[in-house]
Amino acid sequence: MKKSFAVFLKRNLAFAKLAIVTNLEYRLNYFVDAIVQPIMTTGIEILLWLGVFAGTHSVTINGFGKDFYLSYALWAAFFARIATSWMYEFRMIEEVSSGTINSLIVRPMGFYEYYLSQLLGYKFITTIISMIIPIIASYYFKLPCIYERIPLASLLCFYYLILVHTISFLVCSVAFHLTKISSFTVAKNLMLWILTGELFPLDLIPQPWRSQLISLPFASGVYLPVGYISGRVDHSYMVHGFISVTIALVILNLIASWLWKIGLRSYSGTGA
Amino acid sequence: MISILKKYILLYFSMFKASFIADLEYRANFFTRILTDVFWYVAQVVTFEILYQHTDHIGDWNLKQMRVFLGLLFIIDAFYMIIIHENLENLPEKVRKGDLDLLLAKPVNSQFMITLQKANTAIIGNLVLGTSWLIFSLHGLDDFSYIRLLWLLLLAPCSLIVIYSMRFVFSASAVIFTRSENLQFLWWQVYRLGMRPDSMYNPIMKWILLTVVPVGVIVSIPARALLNPPNYFYLIWPVILSPILIYLTHRFWKFALTFYSSASS
Repeated sequence: MKKSFAVFLKRNLAFAKLAIVTNLEYRLNYFVDAIVQPIMTTGIEILLWLGVFAGTHSVTINGFGKDFYLSYALWAAFFARIATSWMYEFRMIEEVSSGTINSLIVRPMGFYEYYLSQLLGYKFITTIISMIIPIIASYYFKLPCIYERIPLASLLCFYYLILVHTISFLVCSVAFHLTKISSFTVAKNLMLWILTGELFPLDLIPQPWRSQLISLPFASGVYLPVGYISGRVDHSYMVHGFISVTIALVILNLIASWLWKIGLRSYSGTGA
Repeated sequence: MISILKKYILLYFSMFKASFIADLEYRANFFTRILTDVFWYVAQVVTFEILYQHTDHIGDWNLKQMRVFLGLLFIIDAFYMIIIHENLENLPEKVRKGDLDLLLAKPVNSQFMITLQKANTAIIGNLVLGTSWLIFSLHGLDDFSYIRLLWLLLLAPCSLIVIYSMRFVFSASAVIFTRSENLQFLWWQVYRLGMRPDSMYNPIMKWILLTVVPVGVIVSIPARALLNPPNYFYLIWPVILSPILIYLTHRFWKFALTFYSSASS
């Protein structure tokens, strides 16, 4: 038992390392992903909030001042980069659609773990570099930021990333039946764009929608970690975030495993 | 010259027809594409509807004017999605897999083929939705002169050319860098700058977005033509800019191809 776990761990660390090496190989691509993209998103959102505050008669919106919104815009862009999976989901779908999955399912490993480890490895290497920017910016511009909360907020975001991967696994399981489903990924990610709080803080939404959206596991991707760091939400929200992601993980894993099994049964190995 | 033009028009209609048949083949994907854009529209509308609950103006526009801006954004974006998007989106993949060779070998202009080979016909449904939203938002304006809509005949094609040119540069860079997925995502961020009214930005940023990185031209100028009294200098700028950008994309494509080494051989 102990030995098999050690093998499992070693194997998955190797997958994660593979993702890190592969992504660092194309340096421009990595630089754009880790640095340029989130900086641009932050800039765009900050410009929006400056525009909003210029047009309002109040110094606060929903009880929070301009600095809180600038801090939210800054951190949200970086957390959103961690909490999204485009590249690996497209690859997973492509493996199933094109039949190249054949070479993976004959190996003594799971398709789910293979891509999860790669995704986590890739996000890890992106995070450690890109997170330096909001930390420096918060410090330099004196934006509201509780630095000791960053580790727990990052942990919640990475935990949520496992849920994101499970949804990717679920979507790619559908590819066994529908072949061409790349638009599912786009539709899903656009939906998460709103539900995670990447577009705007979820507490700006009027009740009863506000409470319902915050209680969903998707808020753990951006709104809860960023709200926690910038002081919009307290510790109890984080606990709720971990619980809701856990429940969603259990439910979605059950559905995805079932879909995967019936998908594999009907799969005829197009790439063989 | 006319016969060449005729050949290209006929070729485009053939490709459009083939795209429509191909799109209908994967019906679930076809309908999800429509749904995808509905989510995108909802995201844009919800963002501004919520923000306007807390402010009267963003830039120099109120909520009703912002709805018109969004309506124009949806329509121009729908045209771009139908005619161009899928082709330029898939270009990096074609470069990596060596499929570009097949296009380069054809006896037609390679830039034409890369730009227009595949139409995304599912988005026609979204064009209807966008147009409906624009009509609804124009109806909500207190004193709108519908004769101003004629400006769109001139400005909407210019907007389309501006989006195309900018997107083309991002896509064609895949020929130079080989792997550039994230550079493609970067386009999305640049485009987002144009999805907000230019008046929201400070003067330097506004100038940059109207000239150096002209995404501000895409929706803000047509929206101003509808919402504000005409400023002819401002309105003529997209007409001057469009042929310049088309020429520059042509030059850039020629330049990028000098880096191309076939991946399929």
